[in-house]
Amino acid sequence: MKAPWKAMGLLLLSVVTIPAWATEIRLEKIRVSADLSALERGAETVVTMCLGCHGLKYMKYRDLGKLGIAQDKVDALRAGQALDAPLLSQMPADVALQSFGIVPPDLSLIAKARAGGASYVYSFLLGFHVNAQGIPDNRVFPGTKMPDILGVSSADDAQRAELQGRALDAASFLAWVADPRAEERRNMGKYVIAYLVVLTVLLYLVKRRVWARLK
Amino acid sequence: MLNKTIAWIDQRFPLTSFVKHELTEYPTPRNLSYWWNFGFLAGFVLVLQIATGIFLAMHYKADINLAFDSIQHIMREVNYGWLLRYLHSTGASAFFVVIYVHMARTLYYGSYRAPRELLWWTGQMLLLLLMASAFMGYLLPWGQMSYWGAQVITNLFRATPFIGDQVVIWLRGDFAVGDATLTRFFALHYLFPFLILGAVVIHLVALHTVKSSNPSGINLAAKDNIPFHPYFTAKDFFGLGVYLIVFCVFVFFLPDTFIEPANNIPANPMQTPPHIVPEWYFLPFYAILRAIPDMFGGVVAMALSILIFAVMPFIDRSNIPGGARYRPVYRIMFYAFIADVLVLGYVGAQPPTGFAVPLGQVATFIYFAMFLLLPFISKKEEQWLRARGLPPALQELFEQRSPRQKWNNGEGGK
Repeated sequence: MKAPWKAMGLLLLSVVTIPAWATEIRLEKIRVSADLSALERGAETVVTMCLGCHGLKYMKYRDLGKLGIAQDKVDALRAGQALDAPLLSQMPADVALQSFGIVPPDLSLIAKARAGGASYVYSFLLGFHVNAQGIPDNRVFPGTKMPDILGVSSADDAQRAELQGRALDAASFLAWVADPRAEERRNMGKYVIAYLVVLTVLLYLVKRRVWARLK
Repeated sequence: MLNKTIAWIDQRFPLTSFVKHELTEYPTPRNLSYWWNFGFLAGFVLVLQIATGIFLAMHYKADINLAFDSIQHIMREVNYGWLLRYLHSTGASAFFVVIYVHMARTLYYGSYRAPRELLWWTGQMLLLLLMASAFMGYLLPWGQMSYWGAQVITNLFRATPFIGDQVVIWLRGDFAVGDATLTRFFALHYLFPFLILGAVVIHLVALHTVKSSNPSGINLAAKDNIPFHPYFTAKDFFGLGVYLIVFCVFVFFLPDTFIEPANNIPANPMQTPPHIVPEWYFLPFYAILRAIPDMFGGVVAMALSILIFAVMPFIDRSNIPGGARYRPVYRIMFYAFIADVLVLGYVGAQPPTGFAVPLGQVATFIYFAMFLLLPFISKKEEQWLRARGLPPALQELFEQRSPRQKWNNGEGGK
């Protein structure tokens, strides 16, 4: 009975316990691409490669159409799934638990759930290497259970340049998945700010006029 | 028709006289600067938080299996749900910004001094209610930081003498933060804003009894008071416009500034985040908590660091009017205190290792030392200023005597 309380006492001091993820190297800062063809390529990479193990449970195939991807391409990606089906992982959780020891995290919010956001995703995807002991590892998340899905550690320089493009597209797509209303929000924001600036100028003029009555 | 209607109401309810007394004839010092805008802004933020909160509650599900998903439902599927949620989450931070500026203004201008002690104390009660609301609201998204923050903070009540363990279980409704905690926090998070609303009414009744303080620090002659409406309504609305521009920049362009990345991961009781940090507005107090190596001492110090503001009317013994403006030593103390709070905020965000530990302890020491030294410093400062000869403008104010004495002689307030 007492032990858990002690453990929480330690927590109270916010000690660093088991790191759930580590960022030991600096992330490569990227600007996510808003270009439709890049997002389309990113969607394809994520759906064909990531969905083997990860899910995007807050996304439906229909949402890909809202991004602007053409219907025939969405149909190709959904491969017979219903339009309103969520993009779930193809690997059942118990199978994943047996093969990896953990259930791979859902990626719907991954571009928000790590410090660095999309830059983290990008740097992680490109962070695979074979370490000094000859063991495959990741620079951004040492000890990750995820395999080097893009084949970064064995790529030569020419292939690496191509992989950077793919990682950027995938990270940009995942950034959209994490915040699909971002564009709508920024568009509305421009009008809201413009309106408020005009309103505030008017309110200032009103204030001046009202106060001018005072001697 | 309208006049008839108003006359009909006035026979049954003091509508016109109320509006006159509290608004169109309510005397307000004409020399109030824009720093006096923040009380009005706090009221606005409260209303916006309640309005957005009610709509969020229509779509939110207070159930540990559904809460996180329901936030994503709001963000993705509810019409303008993202707007409601970002207004509310940004509004929480904005509320503290506004309240902290409001408090800093009170400290700078000595507005807590007689006869405004009760006004200051009701404000402090509002701060405590606000902190409780914010803390409980932060659990609702049921992310990792929500969960572990609530776990750590509720655990502090273990420091209660003799019945600590029972108090924590009573607060959580369970041995650990869980469904019972989430549902009660949701219920209370819905209740508290209305308690705040009630406390605001008390705060305003106190304000309208003693009237606003002003930069000169004395009660102005009647001719220097102007009606609240239209002068200060016009001024406050302009201030509101400026506030809204800044606020909306965050809502529309930087909405994730105040949302910890880890709170985008559903709560997981089996996995402690590497670094648990409270929301920024609690960081200075969190740093004070951690500066004391003993848990009980830390909790007491943290509680004291907020409650100690209540003694300001007693420990500031200077009769020099006008707050820090005419008091060079107090002014230095004020800015040193603000700097110290910022240092504490920085320390609160760091892992408790290395340099942050002694820095936090020194800053905590300075924090309390300020309050302990103020009675002596304020008295000495007054004597020094008077021996040196007050500037003519101040001498004139001073000869109108201290607000405290005036009040005690029954002359104040009007």
